[in-house]
Amino acid sequence: MSQPAHEDLVWSRVHPVTPAVKGWKVLVVLLFIVGQQVTSNVREAQDVVDSLGWMPLVGAILGITLIGFVYSYLAWRMTRYAVDAEAVYLQTGVLFRQQRSARLDRVQAIDVVQPVLARILGLAELKLEVAGGADSAVHLAFLKEDGAQRLRNELLARAAGVSFGTEENPEAPAAPENEVLAVTPGRLVGSLVRSGSMIAGVVVVIGLVVTAVAAGSASVIVGALPVMLGVGAMLWTRFAGEFNFRAAQSPDGIRLRHGLLESRAQTVPPGRVQAVELTQGPLWRRKDWWRVQINVAGYGVTDQATESVLLPVGDRDEALLALWLVLPDLGTEDARGLLDEALAGSGQERGFVTSPRRARWLDPWSFRRTGYALTERALLARTGRFVRRLVVVPHARTQSVGLNQGPLQRRLGLCSFALHSTPGPVTPTVPHLDREVAGVLLLEQAARARTARASAGPERWMLELRDQADAARAQAAREAGVPLEAVPRVAAHQEPSYQEPSRQEPIHQEPTGPAQQAPAHQGPARPEQVPPS
Amino acid sequence: MSEPSVAPGPFDPPGVPWQPVSPRLTTARLVSAALTLVVPLAAGVVLAVLTEVTWLWALPAAVLAVGVWVVVVVPRQVRALGYAERDDDLLVRRGVLFRSIVVVPYGRMQFVDVQAGPLDRKLGIAKVQLHTASPTSDAVIPGLPPEEASRLRDRLAARGEAQLAGL
Repeated sequence: MSQPAHEDLVWSRVHPVTPAVKGWKVLVVLLFIVGQQVTSNVREAQDVVDSLGWMPLVGAILGITLIGFVYSYLAWRMTRYAVDAEAVYLQTGVLFRQQRSARLDRVQAIDVVQPVLARILGLAELKLEVAGGADSAVHLAFLKEDGAQRLRNELLARAAGVSFGTEENPEAPAAPENEVLAVTPGRLVGSLVRSGSMIAGVVVVIGLVVTAVAAGSASVIVGALPVMLGVGAMLWTRFAGEFNFRAAQSPDGIRLRHGLLESRAQTVPPGRVQAVELTQGPLWRRKDWWRVQINVAGYGVTDQATESVLLPVGDRDEALLALWLVLPDLGTEDARGLLDEALAGSGQERGFVTSPRRARWLDPWSFRRTGYALTERALLARTGRFVRRLVVVPHARTQSVGLNQGPLQRRLGLCSFALHSTPGPVTPTVPHLDREVAGVLLLEQAARARTARASAGPERWMLELRDQADAARAQAAREAGVPLEAVPRVAAHQEPSYQEPSRQEPIHQEPTGPAQQAPAHQGPARPEQVPPS
Repeated sequence: MSEPSVAPGPFDPPGVPWQPVSPRLTTARLVSAALTLVVPLAAGVVLAVLTEVTWLWALPAAVLAVGVWVVVVVPRQVRALGYAERDDDLLVRRGVLFRSIVVVPYGRMQFVDVQAGPLDRKLGIAKVQLHTASPTSDAVIPGLPPEEASRLRDRLAARGEAQLAGL
């Protein structure tokens, strides 16, 4: 960008230990490559060692590692960042200098990531996601752990428009948070044992054993080892990534914390979740477990899906609570009833529009379940009987809508409806609708998306919320005839339009387990620990 | 073949004035298809002639069949392409066998691309592509005359700006 030089910016460097932490990567990569070569050609490697001796090899590895460290040091020297009221600025690059500024009102999520080594050393990486497609995030690596937390609070406070730096609030306040969901290791393991990859793995093993017995040789099993390793790696990735998963609610967004080795603390500000999906595999049904994934612009483009997980596993109440966290108001009277129908039901109950009967030729298994329902604020797409799926997309987050029709569908007078969301694990579609129904839905949904967007909240949501909260407080004080101070402050929560208490219908009715302290009973309002003004 | 698409259906919403794209797009697509098919065709013929194996003629025959199919299908595909600017959104439809329609509200538009390759420029057509925050939106209008392409681009940009709202 051709912005004027920011002379008044205060530049700082990332932590000086950074090159030591990052330099090791070179050695790890090198050892990995060498290891791979050696294991694939043991004999050749032996020949090389015999002819050259160990010294040159070790020397080469040491030399390259040293270069890695020197480069990391130079990179550290050239990296600096600054923050002002509008944006975060980052300068990087040894040979090719790069300056990047990320506008705070465009921040989609802020993550504090700690890889193992950084975690041991008490360091953390701060990652700002902006919706600029792949590799648009701003990485500040590494900072001291508490420094990263402070910076995160500051950025969130600035993004929200909360004022600080005054005498009362010299530092950006950490927004109070309230843990709402937690996944125990036992349940995580249980969920993985019953997961799709596990089923696939077990099927493969059984198939192999049968073939091995039939063929009378064990070589089949050896041949399939890579497949087994792949399944194992997948399960391990999920276990390590989702270990100790906790979700908390706070005025500046949803906080997600998880990770066994690499720990990740995500903050997704209100209104940044573009779509939510609840899934239930066949073996999860008896326990009524669900997995909740979200689309957040900037997430899920590069990384594995771990950052797009809102709840790795939870019973129905927990899953609906997770949904409530990101969409507090579905815009319907009986949200719980509608969602129960959406999760497990089939047929045309509760306003669901399903595939017509003639769709059985294309979808014999689940045509009765495939369908959608509309509320004032969101579209619910229900699919799948074997793997149950529910996708919820707020009208205000719909990017565009479309219809598709293949030749068979055309013969049957059917159409598939698609909502286009930002990149991520959730792709909202409703296959095989009646073509007239789909045609009407297409235009209506486009109109809904537009009008919902017109009334959606401002980017600096907190300012607006605070004004609203203050006005409500003043009015309550007037009505009760007490001084303003006697009325407790309530936290502004989520999007301003979600505040109307008469409409607020907590999805959650009988919270159990870790959801006990869920704020669902009293709706979104709850005391905020703000110093009295 | 008769098209049942004249009957009002989901791909023909009432009151939508569809704009066709330039028929020169047919030429452009046929030329590029011919360019890609001529090499395997020639190679197949040469191979069959040189080796004198009769069944090897199946190869160029297959390529030729593809070519005939392309000649039949492409004009219909181009005729099926259409777009409509409504007050608040843009509609794009396409496809003969596999049909699709997409509705993009102007406020969701992130940016507009106008592209024209060498062949397109020779023929006087350009491609306009609307990008939203979703990669699946896929609102592409190929085969527009350049002046119509720039008019559409400016109009879309203006309307997008008027209705723009974050993500």
